[in-house]
Amino acid sequence: MSRVLGMLGRLEGLPVAVVLALLYVAFMVFAPTVFTGYRIYMSFFQTVPPMLVLAVGLTFVITAGEIDLSFPAVVALSGFVFTWCFETFGVGWPGFVLAIVAGALVGWVNGFLVARLRVPSIMATLAAQFFWYGVTILAAGGLQIDIGTVVGTPVHTLFVGRLFDVFPLQALWSAGLVVLCWFVLNRHRFGQAIMFIGDNAEVARVMGIPVEATRIRLFALNGALAAFAGLLLTLEINVFYPTQGQGMLLPVMAAVFIGGTSIAGGQGALAGTFFGMYIIGSLEAGVVATGIGGYWVQLVEGLVMAASVILNVVIGDQGVSALSSTARRWAVGRR
Amino acid sequence: MRKVTRLALAVGLFAVSFGTWAADKEIVIYMQMGGTQGDASTLARTNGARAAAAANHVKLIEQYSKWDQQTMIDQFKQAMAAKPDGIEIMGHPGETAFAPLVDQAEAQGIIVTSGNNPLPGIEAKYQTKGFGYAGADLYAGGYLTGEAMVKAGLKAGDEALVYDIWHQEGRSRSSQGVYDALAKAGLKVDKLDVSAQVDSETSLAIPILTAYIQAHPNLKAIGTQHGNVTANLPKVLQAAGKKPGDIICGGIDLSPATVSAIEQGWISASFDQVLYLQGYMPVMQIVWTKRYLVPGLHVNTGVGTVTPQNVASIKPLIKEGIR
Repeated sequence: MSRVLGMLGRLEGLPVAVVLALLYVAFMVFAPTVFTGYRIYMSFFQTVPPMLVLAVGLTFVITAGEIDLSFPAVVALSGFVFTWCFETFGVGWPGFVLAIVAGALVGWVNGFLVARLRVPSIMATLAAQFFWYGVTILAAGGLQIDIGTVVGTPVHTLFVGRLFDVFPLQALWSAGLVVLCWFVLNRHRFGQAIMFIGDNAEVARVMGIPVEATRIRLFALNGALAAFAGLLLTLEINVFYPTQGQGMLLPVMAAVFIGGTSIAGGQGALAGTFFGMYIIGSLEAGVVATGIGGYWVQLVEGLVMAASVILNVVIGDQGVSALSSTARRWAVGRR
Repeated sequence: MRKVTRLALAVGLFAVSFGTWAADKEIVIYMQMGGTQGDASTLARTNGARAAAAANHVKLIEQYSKWDQQTMIDQFKQAMAAKPDGIEIMGHPGETAFAPLVDQAEAQGIIVTSGNNPLPGIEAKYQTKGFGYAGADLYAGGYLTGEAMVKAGLKAGDEALVYDIWHQEGRSRSSQGVYDALAKAGLKVDKLDVSAQVDSETSLAIPILTAYIQAHPNLKAIGTQHGNVTANLPKVLQAAGKKPGDIICGGIDLSPATVSAIEQGWISASFDQVLYLQGYMPVMQIVWTKRYLVPGLHVNTGVGTVTPQNVASIKPLIKEGIR
């Protein structure tokens, strides 16, 4: 039995998945009219995917022992590039491709600053955040742009359309991306290199890993993913506004850490990030649905987040078997 | 004689030129714009201020606070340290926070005026020195929005929600007006607080309001005085499976998305603060006080709502960032 529990404990993301499941059970008990229907889940599948895509990219970066604070600005930049191209050419694909390229370029510059010029990533990407938001605001002339006519175009239908008129397709794209990236991180040379670099860059270099090139590719990948997130957001809400993405920094970082990715680098948990993002993205709506009103909402949210992290640390590090043996010892002691 | 005439002409021209230069000497103004550059509740204010500055030889220093009250206070201190000719402040931090700072600025000869949220005590004290107000009477504007929502088809006993930043007193006066108008009409009104995350990224409001609507199946109205939340209301209603008019919505400001939503019937009324004037008037106030000693003017910029009936006529101005 304890062997099975031990195996379960080693399953990536399981503790966070348990927290998410418990959370939804609690919401079903305390807000049955909301959480036994499908609409609330559809709204999560509508709004969580852009943040999930961002969290996937950030998981890679943090695993490598770096940080990227520029991704909210890339969300805005890619949204603008797409919107401008759509307004100019009347079709979505050129803008879609250019936006991804723009995001990757921003990431490449970040990577160059970090890897070649040895600028600490927190400083380089913080500066990049201000710079690219500034560029976006200037380019957009500070204006919001309504692109309601994008609805029904192939690019809109493919990425944020509704499967069977109900299910937001962006949820499938983001989930597929998590699976793909999990294999890249855990089964591909690039992912292994990132983990080695995050663990100890000098040792990685001795082992023959091209540390600088890998770091540059890593930031470029994160930029491209942030651009994709910006596209999902812009397509979903059918409007570009120059400050979009600004409120996503903290929820995305919280999801990565709740998911079990080590803040010290060397260990990334994309499955945990997936469940962590859905915890963060569902929390406030769930608390509101239970009828807890007024100023209690944030307090309850904080408690649930803290509980998630603690549970993840307790179960994730020591394993479920260790937890069960602790519980057994405690029970024996009580007798 | 001809030489004397030429000399007199030259002196006269110089005097006229100097007089014009003195009158047009560049005025430096620090101005608090509110949210973030380009957002729906800030853009037209910025454009108005820039237009007034361009027309009056003013060097305009724009300050954006993301509506954070502490940032507004910090920015005022920074502005004061630069000793400009004038400073325009947002009134949100309140009179207790601002009074000693305004006293210091006035003592240094800096003209101070206010916008968006009134500071009546300070205004009365320094009105003769140019302390004016350009903004809506927020409570009255919210009340107007609430009344427009009732007119759109609400009745006593209906359930309503007012969703706004209730944890900041300075930013919820307008919503209190909505709340009171709905309550006076006999509706059962609930309050829900906009969190800091939603305040920054309002698309995050979609699942929260969807959950609220699902939890309150008899909900008939949603009011908010948050510009970007207003813009997202159609997505909320769609996510909750509602059609235009199922839930009567009232909001604020005129972003392109809000205007589309009004046209399509998702939003029944949006409070129009005429933000452009909130940018234009404070710059003019400081210019007039500096050059012509004009005392502080109290300008109420918000006396109407935009509804499906009148939206078409002002849509072109909204596209240009003027309304």
